[in-house]
Amino acid sequence: MPDLPQRKIGIVACSGEELAEGTVTRLAALKVLEQLRPAQTVTICLPLFLAGGEGDRAFARFYPTIAVDGCEKRCAARATELYSNKPAATLIVADFVAQHGLPRPQGPRRLSPESGPIVDALAEEIATEVDHLLRARWSRTEGAILEATAQTPQVATAACACGSGIPVTTVQMDGRQVQIMALEPILALAYDQGLRSEGPLPARIMATVQVYNAIPAGEEAQWERAVALAWQAFCQRRLPISA
Amino acid sequence: MSAKIMIVPCSGIGKSYGSVTREAAYALAEELRPEKTSVVPLSLLVLGDEMTRAAVQAAPVITLDGCKLACATVNVRQAGGVIAGQFAVLDCYRRHKDLKPQGIAELNEGGLALARALATEAAEVCDRLIAEEADHA
Repeated sequence: MPDLPQRKIGIVACSGEELAEGTVTRLAALKVLEQLRPAQTVTICLPLFLAGGEGDRAFARFYPTIAVDGCEKRCAARATELYSNKPAATLIVADFVAQHGLPRPQGPRRLSPESGPIVDALAEEIATEVDHLLRARWSRTEGAILEATAQTPQVATAACACGSGIPVTTVQMDGRQVQIMALEPILALAYDQGLRSEGPLPARIMATVQVYNAIPAGEEAQWERAVALAWQAFCQRRLPISA
Repeated sequence: MSAKIMIVPCSGIGKSYGSVTREAAYALAEELRPEKTSVVPLSLLVLGDEMTRAAVQAAPVITLDGCKLACATVNVRQAGGVIAGQFAVLDCYRRHKDLKPQGIAELNEGGLALARALATEAAEVCDRLIAEEADHA
């Protein structure tokens, strides 16, 4: 099987400007993204769920997400679920500080020095959750950790504004448009590993497509035909001009 | 101005420009025009919070965006708000090339200065809005 694009965990912080707790979510998320788990995490700007369109909403369907909220309004968790998919985990600063006996954070614009340990502790908690989710099997359709195979793929996307989106290819299947996630990088990796389009579709390509896409029962043959056509087209594009 | 002017920064978390909008919003609402402006958490608008929607529908809104996707502006419009002033950090940066923002969790000096410049530009719009209302009164 070709190397796959690494599964990452999306972190959605509310970044609420009104409360110091919102600033804590932002700084803790950034600490995980930049220091604690930089290779395993990506961020999603919450307002992009509305402003960014379907492509950005699709992002959180593909990745398990951790919603980090400042208060009980749970803007990040609820908006993620509303526009994309249920977060795999949610953390609320107000609850977190109460559970850990920490002081309430102060200073929405500039956190007080006493609030620094809250950011550190929350970041560690997020990182622990990241590790947990990376070990678990994730159902994109159920938005939960499951052992069962996911059922339905639905997404259309380009890239997130932060440049970490999942490419999606739209193909035709019996007169309808179906979107296949991560198809281009899967084909590119297969090609780079020496596979070519002569003969039937290499089984490992389809196997990889199935990792990233839940193929509805009974549609396996249609998907395989569509992927085979995409594979042939991809190889044609990669042929040297002199060929 | 009978109602406070609502300031909506994008507070984007992926780039320094988002942090510049956030800092500019605070500078405007806490220092430059504290009596006339109020910061609206964009996350509440995204969620469709009724009170927040009502707030942006009832008062002039100034949006501060970090990138071309203009999340703050788009979300305010979708909430039915009337945008009285729309600012993009990149436009401001083009006017102040010496103020290069760096850092997200903590802006560098250039980023803080750029935020101040952005807030100052937005404050001028606030003043204009206040003067216009006074003229119509």
